[in-house]
Amino acid sequence: MADVRTLEHSTLKVPYELLNKQFRASQKVIDREVSKLTSSAGDLEKKIQDSALTVSDVTSALSSMVDNLSMLKRKAEESIQEELGATRVIKRRLEHLQERDAYGAKDGPPTLTWQKSRLDRMLVEYFLRAGYYNSALKLAQHSGIEDLTNIQLFMLSKEIEDCLTKGDTKPCLNWCTDNRSKLRKMKSTLEFNIRKHEFIEMVREDKRLDAIKHSRKYFSSVEPNQVADVQRLMGMLAFNSKSPDCPYSELLNSQNWQVLVLQFRQENFKLHQLNSTSVFTATLQAGLSALKTPHCYKDDVNIRNPDCPVCSTNMNELAHALPFAHCSNSKLVCSITGFAMNEHNPPMMLPNGRIYGMQALENMAEDNEGRVVCPKTREIFHVDDLEKVFVM
Amino acid sequence: MDSCYAVDKELEKLCDKYKSANERMQQTLDDFITSVQGYANEINQKPHNEIVSEAVKTTITDFIERAKATNISVGNAHKDLHGSVSKLGKTIDRNFTTDFSAVITEGAFDGEWKQRLLNEVICEHFLRQGMLDIAESLNEDAHLQLPHVRKEPFLELHRILESLRQHILDPALQWAEQNREELNRRKSPLEFKLHRLRFIELIKCGAIKQREVLDYARKLAPFAEEHTKDMQLLMGSLLYLHEGVQNSTYSFLFEESSWVDICDIFTRDACGLLGLSVESPLSVGINAGCKALPPLLSIRQVMQSRQVAGVWSSKEELPVEIDLGQEYRYHSIFACPILRQQSSEQNPPMRLMCGHVISKDALQKLIVGNSNRLISSYSRFKCPYCPVEMTTIDARQIYF
Repeated sequence: MADVRTLEHSTLKVPYELLNKQFRASQKVIDREVSKLTSSAGDLEKKIQDSALTVSDVTSALSSMVDNLSMLKRKAEESIQEELGATRVIKRRLEHLQERDAYGAKDGPPTLTWQKSRLDRMLVEYFLRAGYYNSALKLAQHSGIEDLTNIQLFMLSKEIEDCLTKGDTKPCLNWCTDNRSKLRKMKSTLEFNIRKHEFIEMVREDKRLDAIKHSRKYFSSVEPNQVADVQRLMGMLAFNSKSPDCPYSELLNSQNWQVLVLQFRQENFKLHQLNSTSVFTATLQAGLSALKTPHCYKDDVNIRNPDCPVCSTNMNELAHALPFAHCSNSKLVCSITGFAMNEHNPPMMLPNGRIYGMQALENMAEDNEGRVVCPKTREIFHVDDLEKVFVM
Repeated sequence: MDSCYAVDKELEKLCDKYKSANERMQQTLDDFITSVQGYANEINQKPHNEIVSEAVKTTITDFIERAKATNISVGNAHKDLHGSVSKLGKTIDRNFTTDFSAVITEGAFDGEWKQRLLNEVICEHFLRQGMLDIAESLNEDAHLQLPHVRKEPFLELHRILESLRQHILDPALQWAEQNREELNRRKSPLEFKLHRLRFIELIKCGAIKQREVLDYARKLAPFAEEHTKDMQLLMGSLLYLHEGVQNSTYSFLFEESSWVDICDIFTRDACGLLGLSVESPLSVGINAGCKALPPLLSIRQVMQSRQVAGVWSSKEELPVEIDLGQEYRYHSIFACPILRQQSSEQNPPMRLMCGHVISKDALQKLIVGNSNRLISSYSRFKCPYCPVEMTTIDARQIYF
């Protein structure tokens, strides 16, 4: 169960953040309706002072009160249903996590199907982070795990990213407004950077007056450490942006939008409490490390085991920078059968110093009239020449 | 399960609170709406331009007061839920690991080249699983341009497997015939097992196919030597061909499990021939990672809290031994029982005359400690585990 505890934080935390967001939105909606009702009640209070109040005045006032109340009732109901909907997403994911050991002991390995779906979930998240949206969608559909992965969140960010790449800042600014309080807590510079880019675009298009207006509006209340940036920006105004020797040409580089996209992606992860590395990468690194032995990097290809992931060509390269597994107790595997060598299959030494499991050698001897062939050196020995080896 | 359970309990509580808050709000509003509505209807009976009395005004003032109170209660009823909502968030944070960046090797998978390698691994994983369209889509998204030569073996493997699952034997038989030599060298029963299944399919048809069954038996003859027992079983079933083999003691021949087995045998052989691992390296790597991450994280936390992170700063080896279990062992590892160190090229395992194995470094220390003299090939020493005495020359290097 430790694996669920370690790996599934984002599975639950992301829908929780969505619930939290929904909660805040609902509170806003309800507050708005409530204040409407309060103000209409206030109006009525004033009206009542009027001595010439007629019955029709009263009925219309009362019916508008009923309207306001019904509106509040409906909005409150809707909001709460939305929030309950958000809790159901969390519930669904919890149920899936609990299916892990539906059939087995608590500390045993999860069922094969569950393992497979876990890998698919990790891959979907990895694809989404890398921006392989098509593959992510297809995989999620194929494996029926759409509601278990954070696709929605990423698709939303994809839209914003697409717009940003095109230089359209509106959706991203809206996003900033929606999450203002959290972004401020994170000390995010995203909004400032967007405004900066808007300014640069204006200078590029030679709308200098607009640029000045823009800067007055957005740059007059910046943080002290951003002043230098603003001054640099304002400096741009003095130069012809088209001329090749403009000292600010690096600011005009259109690649900068891509940097902004990456910044947005990072902040979005942080906002939803996602790690900056995907679960997939972290898990694969840990796995390859735990499997990595010096044998996987021997020059002699015969020593490598085609079933060992770290020995396979691509993974071998990938695992290069990772630490080796730590091992203070011997673990012996017969390289012929792949079975463990222990008291039931004792390790035996051939006269050339090679060690294999008893079972494999006995089988070989039975088929070849007592002769055994060393698979590494192709030397032939008699089964009687085997010697015992004791490994503590 | 405890962490899930804790969150689940909190979530249940929250849902209950939501439901009761909703009921309360709806009830308050409903009551209020009904009474306002009722009163409005009552008033409406009177002539429309009549000036309202003080009594009516008092009632309306009451309504206004009530509206204000309702407002506050509805607004607060929802606001009060916030405590439970954020408690859920805290429960999730407390019961699940929020940050595993401590165990990540920074930059190990960075760079375009590594990224490409990783994507290729994923692509091959999908090909192996037969999820061809996803492999294709990744190929496009990640601009892999995987050459067709690398895809083809997987495609063929999958085509054959797919037909085997549908109980179609021909493609597999063809493949087995093409690769007969290599399969024989590996002592693979694949071809025989395939013919056996076809033979069983014929028997199933009953007495009408008797002639064909006998003809087919000739085809099996070359395998008779290796699979004598199986052959006899097959031929024995012919006794009941007329009464229907299904109802005889031979009915086990028709068990579905032999089709599952044949898929396994085929996958193993085909992967072996193609130089591929039987399991997808990606699945194995990830499953190993799921086992390895929790202990790695906890040792990291302990190290950080005791401020000994600097002591173990080596990037060479993991800080703790992780036992993944037998199925994840692909190489023999010899760790010297005396020095508790893994063997290496410079420090290989040595077998002493008595059969005990220690590392070369340990052996050298043993001799120096014993003799206080220069080491020669005839320095004498005693095995640390048994009473046997020997000279250096009696110890020899071994290879696992």
